[in-house]
Amino acid sequence: MLEIKNLHASIDDTKILKGLNLSVSAGEVHAIMGPNGSGKSTLASVIAGREDYDVTDGEINFGGSELSDLGPDERAREGIFLAFQYPVEIPGVSTTNFMKTAVNQVREANGEKPLDAVQFLKLMKEKMKLVNIKQELLSRSINEGFSGGEKKRNEIFQMAMLEPKLAILDETDSGLDIDALKIVSNGVNALKSNENATVVVTHYQRLLDYIVPDFVHVLMDGKIVKSGDKNLALELEEKGYDWIKVKN
Amino acid sequence: MIDASELKDSVENENDLVTKEIKTKSLKNIAPSFKNYREEYKYTPFIRRIEKKFSSFNPSSDIKNHEEYRELIPDSEKYYIVIVNGSFLKQISSLPVEIEINNYKGLTKENREIFNSTYSKTDDSNFDIFSTINSIQHQNCLTFRINKSTVLDGKISIYNIVDSKNPVYFRKCFHIGKNSKVSFSEKFIYTSHESYFSNSVTEIFMDENSNLNYFTDQNINKNYHYNSINVFQKKDSISNFHTYSFSGAIIRNNLNIKLTEKNCYANMYGFYAIKNSSHIDNHTSVDHIDESSISNEHYKGIVDKDSNGVFNGKIYVRQKAQKTNAFQANNNILLSDSAKVNTKPQLEIWADDVKCSHGCTVGQLDEDALFYLMSRGISRKDATSLLLSAFSTDITDKIEDEDIRENYELMILRELEELNHE
Repeated sequence: MLEIKNLHASIDDTKILKGLNLSVSAGEVHAIMGPNGSGKSTLASVIAGREDYDVTDGEINFGGSELSDLGPDERAREGIFLAFQYPVEIPGVSTTNFMKTAVNQVREANGEKPLDAVQFLKLMKEKMKLVNIKQELLSRSINEGFSGGEKKRNEIFQMAMLEPKLAILDETDSGLDIDALKIVSNGVNALKSNENATVVVTHYQRLLDYIVPDFVHVLMDGKIVKSGDKNLALELEEKGYDWIKVKN
Repeated sequence: MIDASELKDSVENENDLVTKEIKTKSLKNIAPSFKNYREEYKYTPFIRRIEKKFSSFNPSSDIKNHEEYRELIPDSEKYYIVIVNGSFLKQISSLPVEIEINNYKGLTKENREIFNSTYSKTDDSNFDIFSTINSIQHQNCLTFRINKSTVLDGKISIYNIVDSKNPVYFRKCFHIGKNSKVSFSEKFIYTSHESYFSNSVTEIFMDENSNLNYFTDQNINKNYHYNSINVFQKKDSISNFHTYSFSGAIIRNNLNIKLTEKNCYANMYGFYAIKNSSHIDNHTSVDHIDESSISNEHYKGIVDKDSNGVFNGKIYVRQKAQKTNAFQANNNILLSDSAKVNTKPQLEIWADDVKCSHGCTVGQLDEDALFYLMSRGISRKDATSLLLSAFSTDITDKIEDEDIRENYELMILRELEELNHE
């Protein structure tokens, strides 16, 4: 589904990704772990198409098409979703209005009819349950004045609305207490299927107790230096990232 | 330069005694007003541009067949006032019975006395050269008398039609009686797409506990416009000004509010979306003269390529005006490297027990917000539209009347659609 080969990316002439390879197939959950500044969030942003980053070499192939010429909106329509580490607050635009525009633009791009108000509301109600989010929160300005937990739940709600093929969760656990973490993880797990894939970017092993990965990759200095199964995460938690540094 | 002999002739030729007195006084004000020009028009080269376009400041009074003007009024309007080239066309206006609208020169003695205390008494013709010229060159002052305890639902629209190659002068005086509540919506309509010039001066006297909503919208393509609104508020009165500007070769708005007694409330809201090399300048001032009054000002604008926005907000708090609350904000979004905004708050406070705040911002579209919206599948164009219209909502939200608010929201959406090119 996702095939990344020799990816090099930089921001303002600072090289961050230095030849990264990653292959994700449908039905899989991958965890990307790594210390601060290793390039985890950059990877997430580059896949989603953030224009601040320059891809200087390598390729990202998604579902058979090369992504580098596509804008973030086009990538989203292809089925890529990024749950933000820091969801943006947008005064004056309600989440409901935002999602209605987004869902219908994605549908249109895929040759489906736009949802009318009634259909949309029905879909929204159904997805709201998944992350235990209230309607009044969604009729407010996007993320404005939301608590950390509410923001992350809103991310997963949007993911549920858009039903992406590939979901990238960028440090979704940061700033969450244990209850919120459970709600968010349950949401992600409920959306999992054989058709879609999830990439979880995280610092800590904690999240992986709830969203169990098939593969764990360690990202250091812009490259994946080690891959394994979920036990790798436990080992990292115990021994720290220095353990890998020493080994290399 | 301004041709003084031409202005002198205008004074000489005036037959009405009171008007002649006003014009004589204004003639003497030419020099003092000119002194302020350099500072007050620092970013708006208005006089130079007008002088290049027009050989004379003399007005025109030519008026075509009335039916042609009637066609400019939408069917949806209930009450409307049609003024063409400064002359009130009563025949094709639709007036509510509650309000007396007449030319000053045709007033009864009683009404004359009411307006004599305000006519050219509260305007800025001793300060701004364009108002000085208006005071000298206007031919008719249209008076609006709203008797005490008159409460009018809905709005009265004022259509100022500019249909002349010569400068056009509009002059109005409002007297809003005690405990009255009214709404006016003023539009400036030019029959040409370019190069016409109109100069409008309005004085509004608000008696105790009166309530006024005043809307102005300006979308005049490549024409020129000067507009000075001067308000004099008595105790417990509430004024709400809503100014929407979209295009104009140069538009200059002066909004001057004097809160002369206790417990006045003045709200000034403005929104501009400037495109097609337009230049829009909002100069406001609010003068807190007595204690416990509140003024609230918020102007927001979006400026497109090669266009210019100017904002200057003065707040005066006099020594006697303790317990004043005065707030001011001006926020701008520049859509292009060649868009420009000059914004300046100007506060002068003599009282010591007051709450004042001000803030100006000039920025660009928030790229983080844009990326966030686009990452959900929304195109750049639609994401931009969403953000820009969201930017305008805290101004349109201030419109109490739902129909009027929706009308302005739609107007803004249409304008943003044109602004938002890929």
